[in-house]
Amino acid sequence: MSEEKKDQTPAKSGGGLDRRDFLQGLATAPVLGAFGLALGNQMHFDKKQKEKVQANQMEAADLPKTNVALLGAGSQGQVLMNAMLKLPYVNFVAVCDIWEEFNLIRATRTLKAYKHDVRSYTDYKEMLAKEKDNLDAVVVATPDFWHATHAIACLEAGLDVYCEKEMSNTLEGARSMVEAARRTGKKLQIGHQRRSHPRYRHCYDKIISEAEMLGRIVTVNGQWNRSVTPPLGYPKRAAMPKERLKKYGFESMEQFRNWRWYKGLGGGAIVDLGSHQIDIYSWFLQANPKAVMASGGNDYYPTDVCEWYDTVMVVYEYDTPKGPARAYYQTQTTNGSQGYYEKFMGDEGTLIISESEANNKGAVYRESTAPAWDQWVEKGYISAPKINTPGAEPDVVLDVRETATPDEHKIPVDFNDLYHRPHLDNFFQAVHGQAELNCPPEIGYETAVAVLKVNEAIKAQKRLEFKPEEFHV
Amino acid sequence: MSLDKNNKLQMTALTILRVLVGWHFLYEGIAKLMKDGWSAAGFLGQAKGAFAPIFHWIADTPAVLDIVNQMNIWGLIAIGLGLIMGAFTSIASIAGMMLILLYYVCNPPFTGLFYSLPSEGNYLIVNKNLVEFGALFVLAVTSSGKFLGLDLIISKLLKRK
Repeated sequence: MSEEKKDQTPAKSGGGLDRRDFLQGLATAPVLGAFGLALGNQMHFDKKQKEKVQANQMEAADLPKTNVALLGAGSQGQVLMNAMLKLPYVNFVAVCDIWEEFNLIRATRTLKAYKHDVRSYTDYKEMLAKEKDNLDAVVVATPDFWHATHAIACLEAGLDVYCEKEMSNTLEGARSMVEAARRTGKKLQIGHQRRSHPRYRHCYDKIISEAEMLGRIVTVNGQWNRSVTPPLGYPKRAAMPKERLKKYGFESMEQFRNWRWYKGLGGGAIVDLGSHQIDIYSWFLQANPKAVMASGGNDYYPTDVCEWYDTVMVVYEYDTPKGPARAYYQTQTTNGSQGYYEKFMGDEGTLIISESEANNKGAVYRESTAPAWDQWVEKGYISAPKINTPGAEPDVVLDVRETATPDEHKIPVDFNDLYHRPHLDNFFQAVHGQAELNCPPEIGYETAVAVLKVNEAIKAQKRLEFKPEEFHV
Repeated sequence: MSLDKNNKLQMTALTILRVLVGWHFLYEGIAKLMKDGWSAAGFLGQAKGAFAPIFHWIADTPAVLDIVNQMNIWGLIAIGLGLIMGAFTSIASIAGMMLILLYYVCNPPFTGLFYSLPSEGNYLIVNKNLVEFGALFVLAVTSSGKFLGLDLIISKLLKRK
């Protein structure tokens, strides 16, 4: 506006437009340019944040056609089958289930509907004998007490194996699987599928390891609350003959359908549900437990329906590379509210995470005294904080020993896909030598050691210690 | 427009205020436009106070809600552009006041009312909406657009005829 003095002369009457009018009239136009620039920056930032998240979501690997058999086509077998139907390179060759009246028919129909030319078997030995040359890998989803026999038979037939967790209902069984994998040199992936879940990998790789946002993790807390359900039934016309049930280790159809609840067949709720999450404890803490205390019982189901404990509360002790830590876990079969999650509390932050997209999906909370997390927000590891305003809090004066409620940052990794797909994809990549297994048998074994001891501790009614060598095969 | 030094400073200050408020309106509109599936439903749904039933009705009536959403987005953008450029400043300011008044009466910060959508400050009757309303009132009755803005050109063109 240095020219203004010179232009101080009154404007010409009649309203003629001169150069100065245009300069003044458009004086604020550059603001639009600045706005455009800022908007462009903002949009670029949003796009980058979005891409970072998408980069964490696994597209199916580009692998050559892989011939697969499904061994065990019950409810979990179906889950894995559905996930594999979304892996374009998987070619189903055979499916095997002893319940030919129901599971086998259903799985075969589904696979044929998806244009997989599968052959159906009720006996795994027959399937392996006839198909082993046509197969690359077998996915095992039979009851826990069959895992060792099935997995080892497949490994020894020269096939790579994906085996559902729990690796085995006995440590001898689990150990023999590790040994068989080593002996045959074949891949054996244990189905702790969270090990491949993009959100869990993000939390471990970025939040815990790289950014060390939690500081030293001191306590862990986790749960799986499940609503009570009646025992699984079966259509009477589809009942298996007694001899077949007996041949495969079951006393009755009721026991066959609810094998998870029976001693000698499964491991009850702690193995069924807890195992998934206790596996995460060891992974995120980078340590196996050194001791366990547990309480549990048949608080809901009568023991003739459910032999194993339906309600379990556990406390583990760990010596982590950063110091001692304690972990609580509970699973109950009464009321499903609050669902399932794992919560890791360190001196600088808390992480809450679950496999579920609907509940407790994932968030970190920064302790107010911890170093700032701005750079991690910038890198897209966590969302910008939702400030927990004191607005709705009762009017209390914070004691000097208290700190304000930490800000909540969301974990920006959505995974709207079948939960088991990334873990299966990782297995098949390993089969083709394109990746390392995310859950090799050694890890499955360590988790089995930690989890199976819970049932022992409940029975013993005392604190049981682990020797470090217990975790090694 | 010839002004003495004092007035010039005042007009410059008003222009800055106008551009700031305009920038805020423009980005509020564009941000909503860019957000997939943005809707005022959440804001309207938590309406409190005397006019709450009307806002609830809008939130619950998809056809009306859609029109309200569009009018809100494009209204914000148009007002924002008008204020930044100083074009039709008074009309833009009055339109802005009306829009803001709607936001205000939808979620008034009165004693005893709580909202589930978080707000970033502490308010008693007066909130930032009301402050911006006041700022727009000032802009509506002063002609900063004729000092630095397209209104200078527009008014001269109109006078010429």
